[in-house]
Amino acid sequence: MSAIRVKRRPRSSSAPGIGFYISATVLVLLSIAPILWVLKMSLIPRAELFASPPTFLPQDFTLSSYSTVFSDPTFIRGLFNSALIAGVSTLACLLLGAPAAYAFARLRFRFRTFLMTGILALAFFPAVAVIAPLFLEFKALDLLNTYWAVIITDTVFVLPLTVWILTAFFRQLPRDLEDAAKVDGATTLQAFRHVILPLAAPGVATAAIIAFIVTWNEFLFANTFLFDSDHWPATVVIPNFATTHTVEYGAQAAAALVITVPIALVVLAFQRRIVQGLTAGALKG
Amino acid sequence: MDPVSTGEGQITRERGGTSRREFLVVSGGSLVAVSLFGLSACGGDDGGGTASGDVLMNLSPDVKEIVSAQVEAFNKQNPDGEVRTRITPSDTGQAFDQLRTQFQGGGSDIDVIMGDIIWPPQFAANGYIADLSERFTEADREAFIAGVITGNTYEDEIYGVPWFTDAGFLYYRRDLLEDAGFSEPPQTWDELREMAAKVQQDAGTPNGFVFTGAQYEGGTVLGLEFIRTAGGDVLDGDTVIVDTPEAIEGLAIQQSLVADGIAPEAVANFKEEEASGAFLRGDSVFMRMWPYAYDFLGDKEQSSITVEQVELTELPVASEDIPRVNVGGGFNFFINADAADPDAAYALIEYLTAPEQQKQLAIEGAYMPTRTELYDDPEIIKAVPGVRLGKEVVPATTTPPVSPYYSDMSLVMSEAFNANILGSATPEETAATLKSELESIISRGG
Amino acid sequence: MNGGTGTADNRRGAGAAERRTARWMVSPAILLIVAVAFFPVAYSVYLSLHDASITSVGGWVGFDNYAQLFRDSKFTGALLNTAVFTAVSVTIELVLGLTIALGLNQAFRGRGAVRTAVLLPWAFPVVVSALMWRLMLQDQVGIVSYLVQSLGLADSPILSDRTSLLIAAILVDVWKTTPFMALLLLAGLQTVPKDVIEAAKVDGAGALRRLFSITLPLLKPTILVALLFRTLEAWGVYDLFWVMADRQLDSLSTYTFEGVRVSQLNFAPGTAAAVFTFFAALAIALVFIKLLGARTAEER
Repeated sequence: MSAIRVKRRPRSSSAPGIGFYISATVLVLLSIAPILWVLKMSLIPRAELFASPPTFLPQDFTLSSYSTVFSDPTFIRGLFNSALIAGVSTLACLLLGAPAAYAFARLRFRFRTFLMTGILALAFFPAVAVIAPLFLEFKALDLLNTYWAVIITDTVFVLPLTVWILTAFFRQLPRDLEDAAKVDGATTLQAFRHVILPLAAPGVATAAIIAFIVTWNEFLFANTFLFDSDHWPATVVIPNFATTHTVEYGAQAAAALVITVPIALVVLAFQRRIVQGLTAGALKG
Repeated sequence: MDPVSTGEGQITRERGGTSRREFLVVSGGSLVAVSLFGLSACGGDDGGGTASGDVLMNLSPDVKEIVSAQVEAFNKQNPDGEVRTRITPSDTGQAFDQLRTQFQGGGSDIDVIMGDIIWPPQFAANGYIADLSERFTEADREAFIAGVITGNTYEDEIYGVPWFTDAGFLYYRRDLLEDAGFSEPPQTWDELREMAAKVQQDAGTPNGFVFTGAQYEGGTVLGLEFIRTAGGDVLDGDTVIVDTPEAIEGLAIQQSLVADGIAPEAVANFKEEEASGAFLRGDSVFMRMWPYAYDFLGDKEQSSITVEQVELTELPVASEDIPRVNVGGGFNFFINADAADPDAAYALIEYLTAPEQQKQLAIEGAYMPTRTELYDDPEIIKAVPGVRLGKEVVPATTTPPVSPYYSDMSLVMSEAFNANILGSATPEETAATLKSELESIISRGG
Repeated sequence: MNGGTGTADNRRGAGAAERRTARWMVSPAILLIVAVAFFPVAYSVYLSLHDASITSVGGWVGFDNYAQLFRDSKFTGALLNTAVFTAVSVTIELVLGLTIALGLNQAFRGRGAVRTAVLLPWAFPVVVSALMWRLMLQDQVGIVSYLVQSLGLADSPILSDRTSLLIAAILVDVWKTTPFMALLLLAGLQTVPKDVIEAAKVDGAGALRRLFSITLPLLKPTILVALLFRTLEAWGVYDLFWVMADRQLDSLSTYTFEGVRVSQLNFAPGTAAAVFTFFAALAIALVFIKLLGARTAEER
């Protein structure tokens, strides 16, 4: 709000004024304050977690939550499982989504609009709605309690976003390159593989990062289809830092930070790319 | 295709054919690569595990260390079969849900099931677990606490072997009561109300009485306790009796404790952590809680009050002529009806519920045993404070209603009791609503 | 593989080949989606018309399950909660997201850091943040509860009151999702041609005027797509309600989950609720797509 007000004040340059920087600071603080609180929760003893009234700065400092987390083999295994599930799902999403997006963007064929709407329609599905029938389907295929059940479901539910980003990205690439390739005798597919894909790196990177983040954080399907703690991703392991009666909030806070930090680093490294990739998506929404 | 393009069509088809083949190779190759990667990463397959002699048991994380050690010892003693364990969610509701889903989906590979006291009727009614009447004889059963045996019984057959139990205790601040001039803990709810109010006034303690009133299984248990300590009950067989004057009085007591400020309104959101948190930081005079919280009293990181300041006793009743009662839980063992080797399964159960193993569980984990003889064991009495009182409290422990539709019942009960705490309905209205909902469940369940 | 013949004939032949290639490129995705998403929904529709349970289909009951749904105050409550949650949170996220996007659209020192900080809430897994938020909102011990009560904004426990719980859920969702909205809108902003804005500046148009007459209209397609995704996501909200509200507040999805996964007897109504949620979402989406289609058609 004040960003716009600031612009009204006459100024020699178009550099943002102090009001803008104040608003930006407030925004940053509001965004990360809860996360800082979670950091605090991970560093204080249990008694202080339930202090009333709550303390702002830690009175007592302890690393016991982190030692609980890192000494728990189920959690370490969970990190590995998360990486595996998110990695394979992202890969599958790209393998399936990129060709489809290219077809939607460049090729003409029957049912194109219908299919495109259909894939977007996936975004309408409340995931909970398909849990029961999917469970029976996977049971019949003997896929329960395997990584595949979660990977397949995750892939399918992240496809709409992936396809949307990639379709729009492909659309805004100049046609001349493919036309030139075709004149030289390349098939559509070859043009796709050798000309377009290399150029599509930013869009693909964006789609990949977003798909990875979403599948890394996924909980419902993993929780429903995986019975064995051997297969649980980290998101399912975290609520289990608990016993029948007690909940180890400190450990959960520590674990949450541990699984978010790599994501945060990736986002930091690629935030410009992400915006670039989404820019294309916005051009021909 | 029209004749003009046939010539091109052929060339085109060729090109199309090549690209199709190419595509198949590329995508096929990728899929194969991904599959191999995925399969190799799948790791330990857990199909079956029930070759004769082998037994698979689910394991709650709470008891992971102790039981794993016991299982190892058992495996050494019995080299012909192997017992393996699988860790399941720490939340018993979730663990139950998983297991039930597996059964509904066709069957579970778990042979020995470690489960909550509310599981047997729901599993037995659908034939998921085996009737143990032949193996677990009447004579055997007498060594165990009667109330827990009842909880494991469905339609006059016994389905589970008791392992450890949980009971509801009243924790109180001995020091605060003494300062206010009370030398004995309260026997009735009215006395509790009076004592709490006085201490809150004199010492400024924020909360008089805290308990788990959130909308979950714990809330159901508390609601049941208020009703039963007033002499009423929710079900009598298949008849719903939640609208009797006694039951309504129990609900009224629960509501008035909150309305009068003895219990904070926030109990409607409290689970074990929040309630014990309040008591352990010294902000409450009384607490209804399971025995595990007593262990935290010595630990600075967990508690601001000490062992000397706290004492445990039975829950109060509405009036002195009503027998003392509480509602408990606890874990038991069941055998999968489809277990490949039920004999091996039962052998494991016998071992784990034997006096020596129960004693180890009590001393190392502060779990309350289910064998009555252990309540006289001096070592256990020293290690588990709950056991000292256990002799009075545990025989008075009752279990939640025995019903195959307990999941649905618990859903409506926890909601009704929560509304009762918040005062969104009068006790009479709550009772009426519950009655119609429970009757509907029973009639639909058939 | 040199073709090298007349262009017109090439195109016709190429058209057929193009269609075939397109089919092969699209098929894997479509097949997977049909198998994993559409079949279950179709099956759910089928089940919802029977007296179904998780183990058996049961007898045909027509629309009885749906009728039962609308008689169930828990369902209508869930419907209302979801509708309010969706409308309010998406609106706030749009306005806030736009503001942030406008701010981030210009170069300033520390832009990268701000962008990252703003994206962090979105990267945090919902399940865990919901658990933490619940503790933060808990009476007597929660920092948010403490602040809210100190400021005099509430005097009863936040978690006990359905309304304040809904408000809390909306605010947590805003905290979590505004970043993503801002990002989508920022991307759209960066495609608004700068010369048009400059020309307007030269003509003396004020900042607000520029915003409403030039920037926003050019941004319409992006806004509509962002709204589409967000609205549908909010309509299906599950994690946030299940973990943070912890059964005290129902959304359409938590109602469905309780029916098909927790309860023994409410499987059929639960399935009906799932189907209802899906078709309602479809209707909402069609409205947006119509709007979008109208927009892009205009632009062409």
